[in-house]
Amino acid sequence: MKRTRLFLWIGLLAIGLSAPVALAQQPNYAKVKEYRIERSVPPEAQACIECHRVTTPGVFADWAKSRHANANITCLDCHLVQPGDQDIAQDHEKYYSRSDMPWGEAKYKMPIASIVTPKDCSRCHPDEATQYSKSKHANTIEIMWKLDPWLNKGMNSDNERKVGCFNCHGTVIAIDDKGKIDPATWPNAGVGRLNLDGSKGSCTSCHTRHRFSVAEARMPEACDQCHLGPDHPQIEIYEESKHGTIYHAYKDEYNFDAAGGTWTPGVDYRAPTCAACHMSGSGKEPTSHDVTQRLSWETQAPLTVRPQDFAAFPSGTNWQDERQKMKNICSACHGDSWINDFYDGFDKAVEEYNDVYYKPAKAKFDELNEKGLLDQTKFFDERLEVEFYELWHHEGRRARMGAMMMAPDYAWWHGFYEVKLRFANFMEEANHLIETGQKAYIAEDFPNATGDTTRPPKIFGEK
Amino acid sequence: MKKYIIGGSLVLLGVLLSFPLFSMTYYTMVRTSTPEFCASCHEIKPAVVAWRSSTHTNNAAGVVVDCMDCHLPAPQNTFDFFFAKTYHGIKDVVKHFTMEAYDREKNREAAYAAFDNAECQKCHRNLLHMPTRRGAMLAHRSVVYARPGYEKKCVDCHYDLVHSDKATVMFRQTREIPYQAKGLRRL
Repeated sequence: MKRTRLFLWIGLLAIGLSAPVALAQQPNYAKVKEYRIERSVPPEAQACIECHRVTTPGVFADWAKSRHANANITCLDCHLVQPGDQDIAQDHEKYYSRSDMPWGEAKYKMPIASIVTPKDCSRCHPDEATQYSKSKHANTIEIMWKLDPWLNKGMNSDNERKVGCFNCHGTVIAIDDKGKIDPATWPNAGVGRLNLDGSKGSCTSCHTRHRFSVAEARMPEACDQCHLGPDHPQIEIYEESKHGTIYHAYKDEYNFDAAGGTWTPGVDYRAPTCAACHMSGSGKEPTSHDVTQRLSWETQAPLTVRPQDFAAFPSGTNWQDERQKMKNICSACHGDSWINDFYDGFDKAVEEYNDVYYKPAKAKFDELNEKGLLDQTKFFDERLEVEFYELWHHEGRRARMGAMMMAPDYAWWHGFYEVKLRFANFMEEANHLIETGQKAYIAEDFPNATGDTTRPPKIFGEK
Repeated sequence: MKKYIIGGSLVLLGVLLSFPLFSMTYYTMVRTSTPEFCASCHEIKPAVVAWRSSTHTNNAAGVVVDCMDCHLPAPQNTFDFFFAKTYHGIKDVVKHFTMEAYDREKNREAAYAAFDNAECQKCHRNLLHMPTRRGAMLAHRSVVYARPGYEKKCVDCHYDLVHSDKATVMFRQTREIPYQAKGLRRL
């Protein structure tokens, strides 16, 4: 009896000593979000889910929290392609013969593509995709190539473009000789990305992978990934404005998850975000994924013009109609005189910029070129070219956009103040060259001006 | 009495005259409504060959959808149906002799433009409740209850369903990859 008790004690002691060891030996796995297949999902899609929850747990967890997962929309609904399509992810095919993986079986094999395009999204969201396709966002590669001297004169390198310009504007996706996506064009989620199926843009620019959240795109943080910096500081302007101030103070109270068509000014949010004014529905104004609408001036253009007169991409609308749309949005919170008097100040700022600063500077710039004092073969290699460029592209935009979105520091100190100084210095140097007949210094050592100057044939046609 | 004899004779005459007329018209309609008849024009032959290997011909239910089922107004719209059929018959013969070459792509576009959702919806009527295809449910709602300015055609998304060139016959029941619309054709 005593011996039995002794053995029992020894046994208990052994268990007690080994338990912490066993716990310590548990591998340090991150907790994987559960997804129990409790609704009808095709076995092939189940294979995607089971494999990717282990191999790419972040992607899986994102999706599992999304409205897509909630509605039983699986990986296959977006990533499935047809056999023979040029964008099939070839490296992915080999996973279906991996006997060491529980779902690596040929019976689950499906051709899939990495890149999901607005055309794919249009299978379920046709109206949103159609609206988007008409926007300046979708057509930004065309606009960029019609205007930009960096591209047309080859003044930066292809990789500077890949990591800079094209990251926001989008690449022209291409397939290389090996049948894979050309690494010069990928990864990319630019708003104007030209996809292999011909559709333009990437819905994940604003509704990021793999949450595809409406709430996210309603927040200013969705826009500020591109709309920032010296040349178009919309987010800084917004943050300085009363709208942005209220957003930061009260965003915890904002109901960003309101169902489509129900997000209501004054109820779900106290002051608007970028999307609230430019895209979301309010009162009688319907929601649109065309961000070009509701604009009455092209404040980013060198000479401010009406959207219908913007030569690179005419809006095809009437600016008075678009302004009325925006006024209807304003009137959710503001009275008529407030709105009209605000627009009065904005219009005056635009007119002053156009007439007092831009037009005389442009006339002087043209004169320098006509007289051969500036060399026209390249751009940015002469100081006055940079000065003229920054006058409209940097501080000129800040002044106009700051006036439009009511950020006094951007309208004046970062805006008109700098335009004024730039203008005076530009004129001084220009007049000096004209008076002396001296040609401007050309920077012979202008670095890394190696970029391809061919306009993308898929957009502009073979020439 | 004489009145009835005259009346009866006229009715009899009408029947005697119209019976062969109607039956011959009907016979002509039936004869000229088969895919085989459509394929008797060499311009149309590739379309019929592609149709024959599509799931609109090969499916577990054994349903075969003929050319006319999609490409002409529904027969219950009798006048439209007869008018469209006669018009296309005459036009095709005239074009056959006057046109240089048959541009398949151009005519494909013309066919897309001519489609009416009613033709598809004669058969595809239960489009709104698809518990395993929530995305399609959403998309179909935007067609069946289209908002003003956003009217769409079935063929805007389902555009390569029948007349796509395939190497092998496609059976709906042995489809290895689930069918899904490709999204808006014009994007």
